[in-house]
Amino acid sequence: MALETEGKTDSIFNSTAAQKQKDRILLLLRLVAFLATASATIVMALNKQTNSLVVATIGNNPIKATLTAKFQHTPAFVFFVVANGMASFHNWLILVLEIVGHKIDYKGLRLAIIAIFDMLIVVLAAAGDGAAVFMAELGKNGNSHARWNKICDKFQTFCDHGSGALIASFIGLLLLLIINKAETKLIFGGAAIEALGIGYSW
Amino acid sequence: MAKTKRLCTLLCRLMALGATVSAAIVMATSHEKANFFSVSFEAKYSHTPAFKYFVIANAIVSVYGVLVLFLPSESLLWRLVVALDVVFTLLLTSSISAALAIAQVGRQGNSYAGWLPICGQVPNYCGHVKGALIAGFIGVILYALLLLYSIHSFLDPLLLRKN
Repeated sequence: MALETEGKTDSIFNSTAAQKQKDRILLLLRLVAFLATASATIVMALNKQTNSLVVATIGNNPIKATLTAKFQHTPAFVFFVVANGMASFHNWLILVLEIVGHKIDYKGLRLAIIAIFDMLIVVLAAAGDGAAVFMAELGKNGNSHARWNKICDKFQTFCDHGSGALIASFIGLLLLLIINKAETKLIFGGAAIEALGIGYSW
Repeated sequence: MAKTKRLCTLLCRLMALGATVSAAIVMATSHEKANFFSVSFEAKYSHTPAFKYFVIANAIVSVYGVLVLFLPSESLLWRLVVALDVVFTLLLTSSISAALAIAQVGRQGNSYAGWLPICGQVPNYCGHVKGALIAGFIGVILYALLLLYSIHSFLDPLLLRKN
């Protein structure tokens, strides 16, 4: 009985050729997700634009003031940078572990641990995305009811870079979600056989 | 033991359902009119896309919560519940994050963008929104706990048995 369960453990946790193929595809997806979240972090962190605007006119002379738009001025964007930074660090760490760490003994829990961390990081990245996208919408359209003016007409490059970072972050989030679902399916695909064998029910 | 676990999960899901339903309702009924230097100020949740998203997300998760409560305990659909739990926790977290970001601008303004805070003019509206956000936060925490519990109950027993 012990030998049979060990065989099943091996087949669940990646020694057949089909499982290795799936592993490689997941690795590729994770690489793309890492690139997406890392680029989102970097583009938003370097987002800065200085513009000189006319604030008043005295007689015939316009008075200009130099204003800077930075990502640190908005707490939502700061959270966005931090969340995407953590997501890209997580992706990088898992990539390194999968490529290099074949000798580490996980006691068969490798897929489960990765899936759990993936779920947590996906939730964090989604929170960062949600806050940033609505702040960007506020900057783009303003809010006439609260008398908040839009800022995108004066700081076009800032807004463009911000939208680029947001799109990259959403792509990273989607890929992370797909990876997580694939891993869950891998776990449950093997676990269903175990469940029928042991008669597990709750 | 299984019975108490089942009862605890049920209780947790009921509380989470209550939190999301109350968050949606409190946010949807927030409304205040004020006069400020002969300028009429009206604050409603529908003026802000972030608050609309908050109401819609909490409503969707409430419907999901009601449906899950009616699931019989031995059905195979519980594995789908684990997957769906992740998606709906995601939705809730992003909605509360967005609403918090906009509420923070409303309370403190943003001097760099020239946005003045509005909570001085409509304090009742601000208090109402704060209550809705607190209920939403409780919902998020409860759903995160439920997610961790479903992960534990599905992955742990199967793997512990091997050792």
